[in-house]
Formats: sequence, C-alpha cells, structure tokens
Amino acid sequence: MPLELRDESISLVGVVTVDEVEQLVGWLRTCQRPKVSLRRCNHLHTGALQAMLLFRPKITSAPKDAFLAEQVLPLLTGSYGDTGRQGTETP
Amino acid sequence: MNPLLAQFLAEANDLLASVDDGLLQLERNPGDPELVNEVFRAAHTFKGSSGLFDFPELTRLTHAAEDLLDAVRGGRLALDSGMTDDLLAAFDLIRGWLAHVTAHERLPATAGQDAAGLITKLRAPLGGGEAAAADQETPLSVRPIDPPPQWLAHLGTEWLIDTATWLGTTSSTLRFVRYLPDQDCFFRAEDPLHLVRQVPGLDRLAVIPPESWPAAEEYDEYACLLSFVVATRAAVGELDYLFRYVPDQVTVVELDAAAIHRHLEGEDEAEFAVPAPPPRPDALHVDPELAADARAVLTAAHRTLAVGEPAGTQLAALSASVTAAAHALGVPLDLTGADQEAVNAAIEGLLGRAPVEPAAEPPAVDHPVIPALVAPPAPVPAEPTGRADDPGGQVGTRVLKVDQEKVDRLMELVGELNVAKNGLTFLAAAAEEEFGSRALSRRIKDQYAGLHRIAEELQAAVMDVRMLPLSVAFGRFPRLVRDLSRRLGKTIELVTEGEDTMADKDVIEALGDPLVHLVRNSLDHGIETSDERVAAGKAPAARLTLAAVADGDAVLVEVSDDGRGVDPVRVKRKAYEKGLITEEELESLSDSEAVDLVFRPGFSTADQISDLSGRGVGMDAVRASVEKLGGSVTMRSEWGSGTTTRLRLPLSMAVTQVMVVSVAGQRFGVPVDLVVETVRVPAAEMGRVLHQDVVVMRGEVVPVIDLARALEMPWEPDSARDLAVLVVSVNGQRIGLLVEQFHREVDVILKPMEGLLAYAAEFSGTALLGDGLVLLVLNLKEVLGLAARVA
Repeated sequence: MPLELRDESISLVGVVTVDEVEQLVGWLRTCQRPKVSLRRCNHLHTGALQAMLLFRPKITSAPKDAFLAEQVLPLLTGSYGDTGRQGTETP
Repeated sequence: MNPLLAQFLAEANDLLASVDDGLLQLERNPGDPELVNEVFRAAHTFKGSSGLFDFPELTRLTHAAEDLLDAVRGGRLALDSGMTDDLLAAFDLIRGWLAHVTAHERLPATAGQDAAGLITKLRAPLGGGEAAAADQETPLSVRPIDPPPQWLAHLGTEWLIDTATWLGTTSSTLRFVRYLPDQDCFFRAEDPLHLVRQVPGLDRLAVIPPESWPAAEEYDEYACLLSFVVATRAAVGELDYLFRYVPDQVTVVELDAAAIHRHLEGEDEAEFAVPAPPPRPDALHVDPELAADARAVLTAAHRTLAVGEPAGTQLAALSASVTAAAHALGVPLDLTGADQEAVNAAIEGLLGRAPVEPAAEPPAVDHPVIPALVAPPAPVPAEPTGRADDPGGQVGTRVLKVDQEKVDRLMELVGELNVAKNGLTFLAAAAEEEFGSRALSRRIKDQYAGLHRIAEELQAAVMDVRMLPLSVAFGRFPRLVRDLSRRLGKTIELVTEGEDTMADKDVIEALGDPLVHLVRNSLDHGIETSDERVAAGKAPAARLTLAAVADGDAVLVEVSDDGRGVDPVRVKRKAYEKGLITEEELESLSDSEAVDLVFRPGFSTADQISDLSGRGVGMDAVRASVEKLGGSVTMRSEWGSGTTTRLRLPLSMAVTQVMVVSVAGQRFGVPVDLVVETVRVPAAEMGRVLHQDVVVMRGEVVPVIDLARALEMPWEPDSARDLAVLVVSVNGQRIGLLVEQFHREVDVILKPMEGLLAYAAEFSGTALLGDGLVLLVLNLKEVLGLAARVA
C-alpha cells in the first residue's frame, strides 16, 4: 500500500500512482499540520507532487531515491536556488 | 595581454591578408588547386590557433569556412563567386572581431549572432543546409543555435551564468526542454514527472507552479497545473524519442554560451531573427522603439542600483543588461568586472545621451563589417560584406617580421663596434705614453665614454629584439603533462609561474629539450600514483611547478614536484653497481652529493625501462646541454617530499662578460659568472695539504691551482711579490687559480672554437679584444680536469 496514513503524518511508500492522488489530497485537505515522510518513496505521480506544492505539508524525512532527493525534495522544502531574475527585467 | 594571444593576433593579421589575397586570386582563376590549398591552409591554421583561446564563435566560423574550402579542395564543390563573397565576408567579420579582441581581449558580445547567419550560408553549399550540417559525421559539426527562449529564466540566473561560462570554456551546447503538459493529461494515463524523470543526462530541472493556485476547496486534483523546464546533456534525438507521444507539449532548443548570455542580457525571441537583415543604407539613427526599450532597461537598472546593493552574479547580470542596452543605443560599452559605481556612472552617462537622436560619433573600435543585430552602431557601410577601403581596425600591435639572419648580423656589428670602441682606450694610453699629450689622452677618454654609452644601449636594444618570454618554452607543457599523466594514470596539476620572464631566443629554443626531459623524469620517477600519495598522507593530486625568475643577467628556471623525491641510498647503491663511484665514496658521500650522482653519464635508477625515460641517457644529457648554453643545473631533493631541479641560464648567449687575466705573458678570459673574488696572497701564506697548494681565506681552505702548469706554460711565480689568486666557483666548489696578473672585465662576443681548435676543450671560445688581440676564454671545468691530470 503506497500510503501509510496516521492522524498527523503520512508515509509514501514505493510508487505513488494516479490512483492514490485523490486519497492523498483528501488527507491533506483535512489535516491541520500535515507531515509527510518520503523516505521509502520511489516515485511520485505528478498529481501528488502538485498537491504537495499547493498544501505545503512538512517533509519529515528525505527520500532515498536519487531523483526525488535531488530534484523534487528541494521544491517541497522550498530550498530551491534563485528562481527569480533579479536585475534583468526584460524591456 | 597574454603573450600567446598577442602572438596569435600578430600572426592572424598575416593570415587574414593571405586569405584575402588568395580568395581574390581564386576569383580570377577558379579551380587553381594551389590557390585553394593555400587559402585552406590559412583557414585551417586559424581554426587551430583560435582553439587555444576562449573564442568558440571564432572556432565555429573558421571551421565552417574550412569545411567549405575542404570540399572545394577535394573537388566536391566548384567555387562560385557567391561562395567567395561568403568566405570574404566571414574573414572580414573575423578581422572586425580580432580588432575588438586587440582592444578588449574578448570577442564582441554579438559574435554568436553575427556568425550564425554566415555559418548557415557557408554550410549551405555542402548539401542541404542546416540539417546536413547537423548530421555531418564530424564531432564538431555545428548545429544551428536556437534563439534563447524566455522560459530559461526558470532555471535561475546564477545557474545560467555558471553554465554559460562552462559552455563557453568547452565550446559545447546544452539542450533545453520546456514541457507544458495538458490539463487533462492525467486522464490519458500520463505522468509528466515520470517522463521528465527518464530524461537522460538531466542537468537541472525546474518545476513551474501555476501563476496562481486555486483555493483549496476548488482545487481539482486531476487537472495538471505544473509545467517543467529541463536542461539536459541528452541529444535532441533522444529527447524527440522520449517525448514522442506529446510532441505538441514540448519545445526543445539547443543553446550555447552566447545564446544564454543573450538571454541574460534580456533579449527575447521577439527581437531575435537569424540572419539579421542588413541595415537600410539610410538607417543612421537608432530605431526609436528600441531606444525606448533601452531607456526602460537603463532606468530599471538605475533604480536597482539606487535601492539595493547588488553584488556578485546579480551585478554581473545587471552589467550585462546595461551593456546590451548601450549597444542598442549604438554606444560600445565594456563593463566586465566593473563595480557598482562604474556601472552607475555608465548608466547615468547613457541616460544623459539616450534620447532618440543619432549617436554622436561612430564607435572607435567596433565591428565595421557587422550588420549589427540589435541596432546599427552609428554609421556603418550598408553592404554586409564591408568596404574594401575600410581599414577594419588594427589587429594586434604593429609587428615587423624580420629575418633572423638580419638580427644576427646586427648583433655581430654591435660586437664589432664594441671591439672598435675598446680600441680607443688603448689609443688614449698611447697618446699619453708615446706622444706625451695628457690633454689629448683625456679627450679621447671622454669620447670613449660617450661612445661606450651608445654602444651599450645599442647592444641592449638589439638584445631586446631577440628576447622572448619563457611562456614560449612553457607553452607545450600543459598538453604534454595532460597526455603523460593520463597514460601513467597519475593525477597532476601543472602550475607555471613567471612565464613572462624574458630571455634570448637562442636560450629559449635551447631550453626546450632539457625541460621536456626534466618534466618527463618528474612524471615518470618523481610523482607517485594517487593511491601511493594518499597512503603517504599527501593530497591525491600531485603538483608540478615550472617557475622562471630573472636574476641579474641570468634567468633561473625551476622544475619542481612534490613527489617521492630521490632516495640517496638507492642512488649511491646504483651508482656503485654501475661502477660510477668507488666503495669509499659509497660510504662517504653526503645526501646532497648523492643526489648529484643522477647527472653522471650512464646513470639511471629506473628498474624498468619505460618509454618515457630510463634508458640510461638522461640527466647527464640535460646537464651537458645546459652547460653548453653557459648555464648550470643543480638538483635538490628531499626523500619523500619532492624534487626541485634548478637551471640557471645566461639571459643571452650573444655577449659574455669575461675577466681578463694573464699567465706567462699570455692573456686568457674567465667568465665573470664564475669569478668569486680576486685576492693577493703573500707567498708565505700559501700552504700545502696533500701535495696541493692551499690558501686559507676567512677560515675556509681553498685549493689553489697553478694555471700556468695546468696549461703547460713555462712560468715561475716571483717569490718576492704577492701571488695573484683568482677565486672561482665551479660546480659549487671554490678553487683558486694562481695567475700572473689581473686585468679588467670586458664584454666580448664569444665565438665557438672551430676547425683546428675544435679539439681544444680547455677553451670555450675566442674573442677579439680592442687592441686586436685574440683572447682565449677558458672552460674552467676542463681546465680543472687538466690540472688534476698534470698533478
């Protein structure tokens, strides 16, 4: 089962497919201070990523999967380099 | 300016001239294979040399020209006048660039765009234009560079600047993908993130959230709102394959450094078109819309500077946008490395003159040929090929190519002038002694002093003509070290210091082989493999340093490594096994003397003969060739922490200072470099130790050799007078030479011993003195050997 739900926290396990997106979003909507563990997650469906970008749960543990750890985790923890283009507004 | 670059620019000037000339002749006799070859060779040389510097656009353009000429040369294409025009235009463009390089040491910012159109044109006759160019089997084949899209911004300014630098350094490109999945793509069982995940060679990923998120209660979890921007090293073919089901949702562009820089400078696709239309002949003023845009950029930049304190990359990006705006206004501006105040001043200057009016004067050094992309910089000739009478800026400093023989002839004349000048001192002496006129003698001496000064300066000037920087000798090593270190599997960092030290060209040329030998030795024997170094507690990467420093009238060149050093015990054992030293030497030699054994002929410590060194010819050959130049070699080594070999060379081999001494009525010269001091010793103070005359000086015992006996000349020192002893230093040892009389020091042009005298090794050469005498200059090493044999 890719989602292991508890009251305030959730663990994503293995591959989270489009079928789990609805359940995940439902949980994120109702939870006051959602916490998500990605440690055992191997892949997130785009829908799941999108939902987490919107609801901004706290990420309690980093994924072991290299792609998720390097490319996706920074988006969720907000530690992503400078995305703006300071000083170069196009004319 | 880096001397290599200066040299390249000087050569480029000639190359450009010969290409132009060749192309024009080709127009008249098309298909003359000799001419095609000549132009091809010039273009080829250009491409090769341009690759040394960070000018990727230049390399690409010359490469395209070279490919076209190659096809003509191979008979696959017939050169028509259209192609000749394109080729001429290409080389005109290059000339403009190089004029810019001469002034600013970098290509103009617009180089990439200016070249793109020409490259396409040049490649067109090679069959099928761009597509064919991209499919060509050459590793360097040029894909058209796409205009930089807006969405690059998502990757982050800092990352873009770093990446552009890297791409510029390596003359390579990256692919950039923007993927905008459909809102309802989840219903088609698509997972965009999964697709992105599969992009090979992913370098950077940006996930772009929607402009505004819907409220939580209205959020539809099945509508895809995200989009992606990816930078990847994957080939375009791979990307096409990967996104084959969603081609309408994907944009792929290939960009190089210049394109990214253009993006950073704030130009978007809308302004960008390749090839740029040539400016209308009457377009002598800046396009008003463009000027308005430029003003907006400048005003914004001005605000940014006023409110914040941008630094680092932010300031770099800001300067870039200001430069772009300035170019748009027809004002060439260079803000590389400028600080905030400088940028601010530049902006204020520009805003003061930005109103829509023709730029006041044509920019001093700018691309005269280039149909400028953003806006024509002030009045430029309308025809895109440039005008024949346009000087096109000066490429490199003005350089005369002079035949080497002429310089050598000058040097000889300077030598003769010196000799003739020295004759005046004898004349002055004769005026006084033979003709009894002191006044005349003094006047002759005054004349001599004036002549002497001019002759000295003339000599210095001629020597200066022959001077080259040591970077010429060091230039080959980065490549050599890289190749050898890869072959030996060692990690080596090469450091060069003082490469702008100058020395005579003969010295530089003669230095090449000994240096190569020393560097190879260092790589082969001195430097350990990374594992060995780590085990010894050192950094895994070894450091090999080539350093040069001027030292009076000599130049010191050091080759040092931080490798394993020389093991004195092992060296002594080897030397003993090879019969180079005796048993008592084996016991008594100090460590530093042991290190010196590696210079003995026939010595090699390599247990295995590799193809690099260790064939028993080695350091002795290095020492011999350096001594032939009038220099010396010493080696210092610390077992376990590295070796330093020091070459000491005369700055010039043309003029030697010698000290003149006489023995048994004959005058001889001793190179001043070797002279330590001249002393007069009372005969009673001369002692004898082991059948060797010695004299004690400042507590040091100095052996004294009777020069007359060594040279087998009849002479007995006058016991009533003090003995004249010339103390010299040979191979680090002090030795006294007993002579009859000291004379002065003179500058002489040393001529090697030739013909009948070639066998006389005790002399290193002859020189003509001012009074017409031929002076024999001693080779002290040989003389000491002779003395030992005579004794």
